[in-house]
Amino acid sequence: MVRIVVVQPAEPAPGRSPGAVEALERLGTEAAIDVVADAEACAARCRAAEVDLVVVDHALGLECDRVLDAYRCGGPPVVVLDAEGDDETALEAFRRGAADCVSAKAGYADVLPVIAAEQIRRWRAIRDRGSAERRIRDLERTNENILQNMNSAVLVVDAEARITSCNPPAEDILGRRAHELRGQSVSDWFKAAGSEIGLVTRTLREEVRFKGTESAITRADGTVVPIGISCAPIFDTDGAKCGAVAIFQDLSEISQLRNQVLQTEKMASIGQLAAGVAHEINNPMGFIHANLFQMAEYLADLRRVWRDLEALQKAIARGSAQDVSRAAEGLAALADEVDVPFLLTDLETAIRESQEGSERIRHIVQDLRDFSHHETGERVLANVNQCLDSTANIVWPMMKHLAVLEKDYGDVPSIYCLPMQLKQVFMNLLVNAFQAIEESVGQSGETGRIRLQSGVRDGGIRISVSDTGVGIAPENLDRIFDPFFTTKKVGSGTGLGLSTSYSIVRRHGGTLTVESGVGQGTTFHVFLPREREADLDGSL
Amino acid sequence: MDPSEAPAPCLLIVDDEARILSALRRALRREGYEILTFERAEDALRELEVRRVDAILTDQKMPGMSGLQFLERAARSRPEAVRLLITGWTEAIPSAELEHLGVRALITKPWDDAKLKETLRRVLP
Repeated sequence: MVRIVVVQPAEPAPGRSPGAVEALERLGTEAAIDVVADAEACAARCRAAEVDLVVVDHALGLECDRVLDAYRCGGPPVVVLDAEGDDETALEAFRRGAADCVSAKAGYADVLPVIAAEQIRRWRAIRDRGSAERRIRDLERTNENILQNMNSAVLVVDAEARITSCNPPAEDILGRRAHELRGQSVSDWFKAAGSEIGLVTRTLREEVRFKGTESAITRADGTVVPIGISCAPIFDTDGAKCGAVAIFQDLSEISQLRNQVLQTEKMASIGQLAAGVAHEINNPMGFIHANLFQMAEYLADLRRVWRDLEALQKAIARGSAQDVSRAAEGLAALADEVDVPFLLTDLETAIRESQEGSERIRHIVQDLRDFSHHETGERVLANVNQCLDSTANIVWPMMKHLAVLEKDYGDVPSIYCLPMQLKQVFMNLLVNAFQAIEESVGQSGETGRIRLQSGVRDGGIRISVSDTGVGIAPENLDRIFDPFFTTKKVGSGTGLGLSTSYSIVRRHGGTLTVESGVGQGTTFHVFLPREREADLDGSL
Repeated sequence: MDPSEAPAPCLLIVDDEARILSALRRALRREGYEILTFERAEDALRELEVRRVDAILTDQKMPGMSGLQFLERAARSRPEAVRLLITGWTEAIPSAELEHLGVRALITKPWDDAKLKETLRRVLP
């Protein structure tokens, strides 16, 4: 639809037939024609709606000039209608910016619609181009505003993996200004741990998308910043890959908090083993303590023998045969009484056994220290079987009186992982298995069985921890991974064990699932994919 | 009293920890007891079928069978034997259960040699 404003005297020129409005109605397209009598009314119409054409009657004189002046430097085209068809009038109109001048002589009703249509077409072409350009400018400005003001760091690279733009948060994380970063190779900045190439480079090369993957970057000053990063390739309108965009956040604070939670939970799970640990230390302490006491007595006996030996030496020195034989008899009797050969042999045994005992205590303390150790957060290549086994070794002595342990480890490949965190998961599962058995032993008196299994499955590794304990009630199965959910007695569970384990496994891109039946026992399956980067869950 | 006239009191000790048995033997060497030691409660029960003992001393926390379970079964074949239990500080044992089984003394690990000897002298006939 076109919108036309016709400015003409309230009383049209006599004898002009048809009038301008009737003539314009022959345009063929649907036209909304407003008729006004002066420049002000015309301007009001133009402000109210996008007008495609103004037709003004020259007979209006000064008003006609005002209309022309109003649109001289922009706005809709103005066509002047001149009753006389005077050249002088036309020239003046063009000088004032008229788009055209039509003489209102006989037959003008056929000419006016043609001219109007042409002017409208031209005007629309100009107007559309202008608004497209403005739209692009607006879009660019909006994009820039979003980029500059968002909290996440954004970095764009070209097809050659060179940085083309980045926003202030990206500057902050990388520790360099945008103009220093522009043109630099992105691989210098993004090197995922355990991977030869960084995530951005991989996105570019293999067109893989990452969503909320955890990685780390090394800043200009050498410090390593943990980041959560999403990465996607960019394609131009022809579908050709022209770069990649990376959106990332500094996870320092979050990972610090998370480490605190992990550490707390870990210490709590060790706390649950405290009784077992105490027992394990108590046993060697018991015999070392007793042996030391006994060795002191042995020493006292040996001292007595030595005293008699000295007396014999003195007697020999004095040369009295009687004294010598009396001293020798005394010594012989004493040696007999204290049984020196036994003493010497048993002293040796007691020392050896005590050394073994103290070595055992040292081991326990060492294991506990290793287990409570912080991890740097960097993924390393590790064998899951070894993680499982060393965890079982720590906790097993504390459980062995109530259960037997079966190990069925398959041949599994090493994967990039956080071994300490995986050990924490296994520790949790083992402690849970043990507590379930403890409960069932309390009910039935029969000792239980814990089975550890591992193997390759569905392109990843599956570790299963099964127990013959009391099992989990069906109504609780949905809630066991919820934080603070526990069915254990006050003091024997934090309610964080399984939820922490769950998030550790998710962070490895894996799953933690459970099968259980009341009175049947429980099996937890930990699945860890071999390819850890793809499709990682970003939840923290 | 001449030891040859009255036979030495016989003491049966059970602990899954061989080093504990060894240390107990060492501590009681001069006490004049005949000492039998077992690492497995089942073996000790078999011995009790064929042998009279004066006192039974057992660890509480053992794989397969707890000390109390062992004492309960030992009491069936040798009700006259004095029963003693060694525990770590860590396991809480209801006193009703101790009373029910007629446990005469509770010895905690690590034990004090002098007190252990004193206790044994007191409870043994």
